Amino acid sequence: MNPSDKPQSPFDRLMDDYEARVAKATAMGGPEKLARRKAAGVLNARERIAYLCDSGTFIESGLFGTSSSNPADRDRSPADGKVAGFGKVGGRETAVVANDFTVMGASSSSTNGRKIAHLKRVACQRGLPMVFLGESSGARLPDHMGSRGMGTLLGNDGAQYLRLRETPWASATLGPSYGSSSWYAVLSDFSVMRKGAVLAVSSSLLASLAIKEKIDPEDLGGWRLHAEVTGFADVVTESDEEALDAIKTFLGYMPAHCNEAPPERSVPAGSGEAMRDILGLLPASRTQVYDVRKIVRAIVDKDSFFEVKARFGKVAVTGLARLAGRSVGIVANNPLVKGGALDSDACDKITSFLVLCDSFNIPIIMFVDNPGFVIGTDAERKGAPGKIMNFMNALALVTVPKLSVILRKSYGQAYLNMGGGRNSDEVAAWPTAEVSFMDPQFAVQVVHAIEPGQPEFDEALARMNRDSEVWEMASVYAVQAVIRPRETRDYLIRMLDVHRLRMTNGVGQHLMRAWPTSY
Amino acid sequence: MATYEARSEVTGSVWKVVCEVGQRLEPGDTVMIIESMKMEIPVIAEDGGVVKQILVEKGTPVTENQPVAILEVE
Repeated sequence: MNPSDKPQSPFDRLMDDYEARVAKATAMGGPEKLARRKAAGVLNARERIAYLCDSGTFIESGLFGTSSSNPADRDRSPADGKVAGFGKVGGRETAVVANDFTVMGASSSSTNGRKIAHLKRVACQRGLPMVFLGESSGARLPDHMGSRGMGTLLGNDGAQYLRLRETPWASATLGPSYGSSSWYAVLSDFSVMRKGAVLAVSSSLLASLAIKEKIDPEDLGGWRLHAEVTGFADVVTESDEEALDAIKTFLGYMPAHCNEAPPERSVPAGSGEAMRDILGLLPASRTQVYDVRKIVRAIVDKDSFFEVKARFGKVAVTGLARLAGRSVGIVANNPLVKGGALDSDACDKITSFLVLCDSFNIPIIMFVDNPGFVIGTDAERKGAPGKIMNFMNALALVTVPKLSVILRKSYGQAYLNMGGGRNSDEVAAWPTAEVSFMDPQFAVQVVHAIEPGQPEFDEALARMNRDSEVWEMASVYAVQAVIRPRETRDYLIRMLDVHRLRMTNGVGQHLMRAWPTSY
Repeated sequence: MATYEARSEVTGSVWKVVCEVGQRLEPGDTVMIIESMKMEIPVIAEDGGVVKQILVEKGTPVTENQPVAILEVE
């Protein structure tokens, strides 16, 4: 029988209608808008999802949702401007919301708000990582205008901006992002920004109207601001693709949820090879600086170090890595910047990183070489005591294994903040370590009131230097081991194994799950 | 051609100037070294370039974020 002679099914018309609706919903804002984005080298919402998720795994939720407040918008709001669903990222189920800027500026509405709420609920209750791909003009207008608009559209979900860190959240800011798109970025555990994107409370147009002054969007919320000043951007990329790759990389270190240990990977060939020469990375003179990241990279599994907030609070380095295939969080002083003296931004950066690691069962390793906290009027104006104690409190609340290695200097309160004493599960030191309440050069002047140049100065300084060597500390068991630098990697792998959370299958207590998501 | 200022990231004093006017620096090269907190803290030419002017000399006290040299980049 000729196929054309096949009798029509009573459902054919229904299915034709279905396919037409699918085509309309997936057409986004139409060919012209999509072509303009393509010409600008920017992916559209569905391309972003396709790039992020393993091939063919995305299943959409709410494809036929449309604007519901204003009937006139129904036909021009495919998927209501936010594409949502579940896809596998690195083989793991993940909830994804991608803003479609070509549809009403991906503005927030009643329907797409329900989509986001559903995705978040499923992710948090079922243990799925959550990804937000942000690019939105903010609240949909005029829907939100007036007290009826406000009463109808806002405040109906008391948990809308609640973070209890049940599962890791990652966000990318991939265009202008105002309102809820910004809120989800800063609520996330990891936030990547593509250059050219803007993350702000409201648009530069609205801000200019409010203060009667023209504002450059880059100044208002560009990548430099958030990478260097606010610290909201963990990573900055040149392209959408790189931003999505960064999310995949970040999630690769994370468990799917807070009640499981992070995934394990095979150990790359060549890991540990640089350990033979690691002492060569440390300058011969104690007054010279160096980039601690070279030491970190030598110790962790080859090419596994993934630095976050590299441009913010640069006196400290924070990043995820693997040791023997297992996720670890690295906190290190970086003498290359300001000698590694800890400042307020570094305190915030380290505190938020401790919260991240503890919330997702990632052991923490601290590498110590700093002359103390930055002191002076500027530090006090920035609230240094509060920042230092937030950091200290967070460290005390950490329930995952924490190991500390003193490479060189460890002075004063910073000794405690960087895991000294019982503030780590194990403290090891290189023979190059020196520990005291303050640098011997200053201590001679403060303790003995002897100035450089006075006859007793050199002798007093030599005595102070001897007293600061690590051996005295080892003799009272305030460090558990003095190790050969080339054995650091092996030592840490072994100690991570010793301190593995066997009683709870690698899961910590998450005492900081409700800690603020920014400062 | 555009110019930018290399700045000291710390308060201290100039310990050693390690470049000369006219010298071409690669991104990340050291312009000079500031002594601060008994440490030698380098001032880095973030974007590299040709040294057009050196604004301080050995022993000059500098404050945080003070420009210490001007570089020209293409």
